[in-house]
Amino acid sequence: MTLQRFLLGAATVVTALLLQLTVIGRLPLPGAAPDLLLVLVIAFGFAEGPMAGMVTGWVAGMLADGLSTHEIGRLALAYALAGYVTGMLQDDTERSILRPFGVVLLGAVTALGAYVGEGILLGDPRISVQPVLRALVSSVPYDVVLTPLVVPLVAGLVRRLDVDPLRRI
Amino acid sequence: MRDSRRLRLTLVLLLLSAFTLTALDYNSAQTGPLAALRRGIDTVFGPVQETVGGAAGSVADALGGLPRLGSYQSDNKKLQQANDRLRGQLAAQSGLQCQVDQLNTLMNLVSFTRYRTVPAHVVAVGPSGTFEWTATIDAGSVDGLKDGMTVVTGSGLVGRTTQVSTRTSRVLLLADPDFTVGGTLIGQSSVGFAAGNGAKPMTYSLASTLSAVHKGDVLLTTGSDTYAPGVPIGTVTTVTPDTNAISRTATIAPFVDVSALDLVGVITDSSRTAPRTPLRPLAPGPRATPAPCAAAVPQGPVPTSTPTPAPKPKPVPRPTPSGSPTPTRSP
Repeated sequence: MTLQRFLLGAATVVTALLLQLTVIGRLPLPGAAPDLLLVLVIAFGFAEGPMAGMVTGWVAGMLADGLSTHEIGRLALAYALAGYVTGMLQDDTERSILRPFGVVLLGAVTALGAYVGEGILLGDPRISVQPVLRALVSSVPYDVVLTPLVVPLVAGLVRRLDVDPLRRI
Repeated sequence: MRDSRRLRLTLVLLLLSAFTLTALDYNSAQTGPLAALRRGIDTVFGPVQETVGGAAGSVADALGGLPRLGSYQSDNKKLQQANDRLRGQLAAQSGLQCQVDQLNTLMNLVSFTRYRTVPAHVVAVGPSGTFEWTATIDAGSVDGLKDGMTVVTGSGLVGRTTQVSTRTSRVLLLADPDFTVGGTLIGQSSVGFAAGNGAKPMTYSLASTLSAVHKGDVLLTTGSDTYAPGVPIGTVTTVTPDTNAISRTATIAPFVDVSALDLVGVITDSSRTAPRTPLRPLAPGPRATPAPCAAAVPQGPVPTSTPTPAPKPKPVPRPTPSGSPTPTRSP
């Protein structure tokens, strides 16, 4: 089952990354584009708990970093943190409809905060007030909009595999 | 209860490793082992991006055609299929026409600046869209591309190549806050720098306070180790009064809208070793229409969504031999 779980993670992460770079990032939306990869990481965390969330986030972030012009490891840190935070909120007994939306919102803000924090530490000239505000009012709400598309899908796939050593750790 | 000790340990390990890699990459930008890792990821993902990025449009078309297939009568079906086919051909042709137009404008640009360009399609964008303004194009080192080459469309400057892998390259777009290019206003000799500003217009700071900057002036690249000279950047929209009287700043509306790019050209023959001849393609003689404006100015100060300038490519007036600096290039 570990192999199956690994394959599931790898396939969804690679698919989401490619979709993000070739389609979603290029959509002519007002403001900044949503981050499908981040929503996927959050969905894994929410479905399987903090361990799966942060490991998936770390790997997904590393791949995205490799295809960027910023330093390697920055998105990895942000995504891993987001996966961990949302994984801590995993709760099988709580079945509210609004809960996943809140979790994605929290995860998106966490990742943005971590990325911006790192940028400030490194003196990145790309981090300034205007793009951060732009992300907060466009990217983050778009991420929340993606919730009903991604979170149930990931939860369903994970439930199908079910027996998972990373679950409930 | 969760095994919080093991969890916390893993979290700390992951965060530390990520930050260590960041610090390493920060110090050894283009050379270290992390550059190799990056190249590896690029080499694996490049061809896939190329295919997916190209196919994404046709998939959308195919999905849009599906509802038509449900009719009952076979005649109707056949007719509709024929209709669909013709429609598809028409769409494909209008797409081709668009490409022809774009190529024409590129050729036009090339013809007056005499650069050789490699055409390429934008297949993907960078992963952190709010902060980074980059694009991936489907041409790489096999097409003769190297780091730091000027990327243009028929309307003007797009950016420069940064990470060239075998079949794809990354382009730092002119809107990126890391982007800086030397620029000269048409008809003036003083040099300044235009810098990207994200979603906001570019900032142009002029070294000298003596030179007059007016709204509507056209900015061209000065030419440097990286950028080919004489490529139109944009027009001046506002001039801020100099508060410190050390430099003069203006905002520049670029001719090219980098958020809607398709076909671009990479200038490959901008020579790096030859002395910098003044390649500005202006005929300094008797009021000849400046060549770059013919292609660039009709775009207006507002970047349009398509990089195709509407006007028919006029035959560009060659600079008359009377003392005009004809671009001389040694191979």
